[in-house]
Amino acid sequence: MTACRGAYCTGFLWLLGTNTFALLIPWLLKLAIDSLEMPGISGHGPAWYAALIMVAALLQGVIRIFSRTTLLNAGRRIEYMIREDLYAKLLELDLPFFSRERTGDIMSRLANDLTNVRMLLGFGMLNVINTAIVYLAALSLMGHISVQLTLFAIIPFPLTIFVVKRMSATMFRRSQIVQEELSRLTSKVEENVSAATVIKSYCREYAETAAFASISSSYLESNMAMARVRGAMIPIMAASGAMGTLIVLFVGGSRVIAGELTLGDFVAFNGYLAMLVWPTLMLAWILNLMQRGAASMSRLNQVLEAKASVREPSQPEETNIGGTIEIRDLSFAYGSSPILSQISLTITKGMRLGIVGPIGSGKSSLVRLIPRLYPVADGHIFLDGVDINRISLGTLRHAIGFVPQESFLFSRTIGDNIAYGMAGATGEDIRNSARMSGIAPDIERFADGYDTLVGERGVTLSGGQKQRAAIARALLKNPSILILDDPLSAVDARTEEDILANLAAYYGERTVIIVSHRLSALRDCTMIVVMDEGRIVEQGSHEELLVLQGRYAAIHREQQLRREIEGY
Amino acid sequence: MHFGGLYEDEIVGKAYDRQLMGRFIRYLSPYRRLVAVSLVVLPLVAVCKLAQPWLLKVAIDNHIVAGKMAGLPVIAASYLGLILAEALFTFIQVYLLQYLGQRVMVDLRMELFSHVQRLSTRFFDRTPTGSLVTRLTSDVEALGEMFAAGIITIVGDILVLAGIIGIMLWMNLRLSLVTFSVLPVLFWVAFAFRTRMRAAFRQVRARLANLNTFLAESLGGMAVVQLFNRQNHEREEFRRLNREYRDANLPVITWDAALYAGVEAISAVAVGLLIWYGGGEIARGTLTFGALVAFIQYIEKFFSPIRDLSAKYSVMQGAMAALERIFQLLDTEKAAQEGAGIPDPQPSPAGGWCGATKGDGTFIDFRHIWFAYQGDDYVLKDFNLQLRRGEKLALVGETGGGKTTVTRLLPRLYEVNRGCILIDGVDIRTMPLDLLRSRIGIVLQDPYLFTGTIAYNITLGDSAAAARMERAAAVVGANRFIQRLANGYDEEVRERGVNFSAGERQLISFARAVAFDPEILILDEATASVDSEAERLIESGLKGLLSGRTSLVVAHRLSTIKDADRIAVIHRGEKMEEGSHQELMTARGLYYRLYQLQFRD
Repeated sequence: MTACRGAYCTGFLWLLGTNTFALLIPWLLKLAIDSLEMPGISGHGPAWYAALIMVAALLQGVIRIFSRTTLLNAGRRIEYMIREDLYAKLLELDLPFFSRERTGDIMSRLANDLTNVRMLLGFGMLNVINTAIVYLAALSLMGHISVQLTLFAIIPFPLTIFVVKRMSATMFRRSQIVQEELSRLTSKVEENVSAATVIKSYCREYAETAAFASISSSYLESNMAMARVRGAMIPIMAASGAMGTLIVLFVGGSRVIAGELTLGDFVAFNGYLAMLVWPTLMLAWILNLMQRGAASMSRLNQVLEAKASVREPSQPEETNIGGTIEIRDLSFAYGSSPILSQISLTITKGMRLGIVGPIGSGKSSLVRLIPRLYPVADGHIFLDGVDINRISLGTLRHAIGFVPQESFLFSRTIGDNIAYGMAGATGEDIRNSARMSGIAPDIERFADGYDTLVGERGVTLSGGQKQRAAIARALLKNPSILILDDPLSAVDARTEEDILANLAAYYGERTVIIVSHRLSALRDCTMIVVMDEGRIVEQGSHEELLVLQGRYAAIHREQQLRREIEGY
Repeated sequence: MHFGGLYEDEIVGKAYDRQLMGRFIRYLSPYRRLVAVSLVVLPLVAVCKLAQPWLLKVAIDNHIVAGKMAGLPVIAASYLGLILAEALFTFIQVYLLQYLGQRVMVDLRMELFSHVQRLSTRFFDRTPTGSLVTRLTSDVEALGEMFAAGIITIVGDILVLAGIIGIMLWMNLRLSLVTFSVLPVLFWVAFAFRTRMRAAFRQVRARLANLNTFLAESLGGMAVVQLFNRQNHEREEFRRLNREYRDANLPVITWDAALYAGVEAISAVAVGLLIWYGGGEIARGTLTFGALVAFIQYIEKFFSPIRDLSAKYSVMQGAMAALERIFQLLDTEKAAQEGAGIPDPQPSPAGGWCGATKGDGTFIDFRHIWFAYQGDDYVLKDFNLQLRRGEKLALVGETGGGKTTVTRLLPRLYEVNRGCILIDGVDIRTMPLDLLRSRIGIVLQDPYLFTGTIAYNITLGDSAAAARMERAAAVVGANRFIQRLANGYDEEVRERGVNFSAGERQLISFARAVAFDPEILILDEATASVDSEAERLIESGLKGLLSGRTSLVVAHRLSTIKDADRIAVIHRGEKMEEGSHQELMTARGLYYRLYQLQFRD
């Protein structure tokens, strides 16, 4: 808002100008009527005043355009800036935030709440300033005609303000409920659309529609509760305006009869009072806007003030990440239940670490902590001897190629998706990565090749294709540390074989961590850890672990046994 | 890199307002009585408004100018009565309109929602979530605005305008005609404004949709954005879309301001004309002061709704654009809607008609299937496959070979391009869709979890499934981890199941399939991200489940299909081999090679 202070000042001046001419009109009217009533007294006839009125009207109109565009544009500009800030904030926030907040809710804040704030800052500010100017000027001109009559005319105003204030409190509460309900509705639609396949497969269309109907009708309820207050507000404001006219009609009329007031005074007075009616009506609307705007702004502030738990270090340490990872006594929990407890592990540069273990044993959580997707306390994870919390996030993540469990592709071309981490990657680079991750033959089969558009969330690609594209994207980054979280789960054996062979050549001096359920994916690993219930239960090379005769050996035996059974 | 054009929602072609409104009016018909009451209240409000200046005229002419105090209190009291009546009627009117608007919004939203439920999977593949969300939220909201600030208020305004014109003409014909000489200018201004506003509004709404689409996707892929340090780049892109949206709004503001100012100026010019001509008439004694004052007030009342018209016009235009998009969505794919229209049996390129039944005990019959997700890019080419009742068939092959596609065609998530699928000799396109799907249980590649409880995610609110929930969870071994949760089956599942591991999500989706007790089971690489221990549990559970059920299992890992009765090897959309494991091994073909690769040391 401070950024647009200039615009508001200019807008104020324009409004001052336009209202000067607007307020001139009833006065000219008064002079015109006085001249009609007492033709001898003033030198000018009605035609002269009529001409003046038209000139004033034209000037008022022209300046009005500037005042409105200045202030309304300011509203749009501020909206733009807030949206910009919100998005920048979202880019800063971490996974704990996004797993806490619903996407639909965030969307609704950026759409509906922002609209409310903009309305307040544009139309709202315009009318607040306009109302203030008109009130001050009209009241003083009315006072100039007759102080007593003015006092009579504004008798209904305090009452109106009192009623409106009480109603606006109710309105505030109800508007918040409306926003919440709308947000629920938005989330429901989002979820429904995203899960279309599941809903179809289980014939849940009617159940979903019924659930939506109930959300929809509670949204209706909340809107009607709002409509009741708003519906009462408008006539109350209008009546209070007309009440002034009534008082003027009665009191002012008797004054004219008594000869204390000219008919011109009476008409002009009525004109000014009429000018107050519109801003007074607007006032009701502005109050509405202010309530909604304030409620919405507080919802936007919740986002703007949200603190990422994963933060940039205040004094980042300059470091070249070679690839030695040291984990010391690391414990972690998403909520209250511990996911990792007292993990200690050293992964030296160039080492290829495999992680196996049952579901929920903490494998994925462990690797997610290394690029700080989730917060880690100081003194637990070190890269080349530097605490990861002291490395700038950019440097840290630049050094890590991370392939998450669920492959997310953007609705862009497949080439853009692969080149995602590397601005300025050449076509050759992209093709190379695609070849290594085994996606190249698939892409080449597409009619548009690398320019093939990936549907939202990559729906037109199979799971395995998505995974391989995600791997290609990570490889192109040329990271010193490569983390693959169950990267080939949706890829068939032969493709896996090819990819692993390609990757083995790619690894070189890189530190590699592979999480997998399939021991076959870990065949190139120099060290393997077995996790269970958030702890490392076994650790060593394939051969060492086999000798241990523990968990790993059991998994291996099981897989071997099956192989033998199927060998028949 | 430049993404221009990818997010731009197409700006829809020109449409005729009256047509849209005509269609929209039909949504009012269930509320005929409500509309009727509003139509009765509207003229009452108008009468209250119109009588006020008339009373003022009487007061001035008969009392104030005449100097008669007697009777003025009566006029004042009548004036008070009119004010109160106007307030009351206005409240009733506003409330009724809001209620009507909200009801219509609910109806429209429900129609949209249930329409979306029936749209084909193809439609969802190519339509961004954001734009569908916009249709059901902001676009419908825009219609609500139309009720709150537009449509029937405009009828009321028109009534007042007509009343004012009538009264003025009746009071003084010549003076009225002089005053109304500004009207052509007014119409010209309004018309010039109209054409420009319409184009500007379309632009605004299209750009807003782009912005929202981008945002929704960005939120979904935030982890990727951050891991690849692409915040600045995404921010640039967002800034571009944001800026485009802002810039599209600026002309709207300018035109709006121009209309507002234009109407105000014209109104003052009318007052000026009134003074000039009326002044002469007063001097000649053909017009009273009261009538002049009343005329001035009527002029003000005449222009005030027109001045406000710009706001109403914006709302109406916004509503029209929204309506157009809403109807467009309601119309899209009416043809491609699921279960709509059964195509005639078509000859497949390889020959043979679909209508014929084989009668050889075949339960599920894929005949000469040709399928492409888009264009001529066939994923399945003349694909044939038969399953007997109770048979467990494994689909094996390379990724992207078409295995998943086969499983999606059976429940008609996609329609085949050519060929047909028969169950018990009946073309699945002739079966009611819900019946077809209720016979099939599907475990998808990506398990999707809903916001709600675990229980809801297993039963999806179905009572029959609820009865089988715990048993189903036990069958797949999901009960172990569920029981460990603080709230058990009532444990909250957050958006997309983020608070559960991939394996746990998988187990829940298994339990879901089991709970619905289907006749046919489709497993799509479902065991992919489950560790061997859980896999053993699931396999043992599924073994019980599969007995007596026909199942189609997509497996990448050959270990999961050791129990299959038959294996079909799919390669690049064609079935290359088929037979038992032993047969295929002996054949030393593609299957043999896949096998060798998987189990080689």
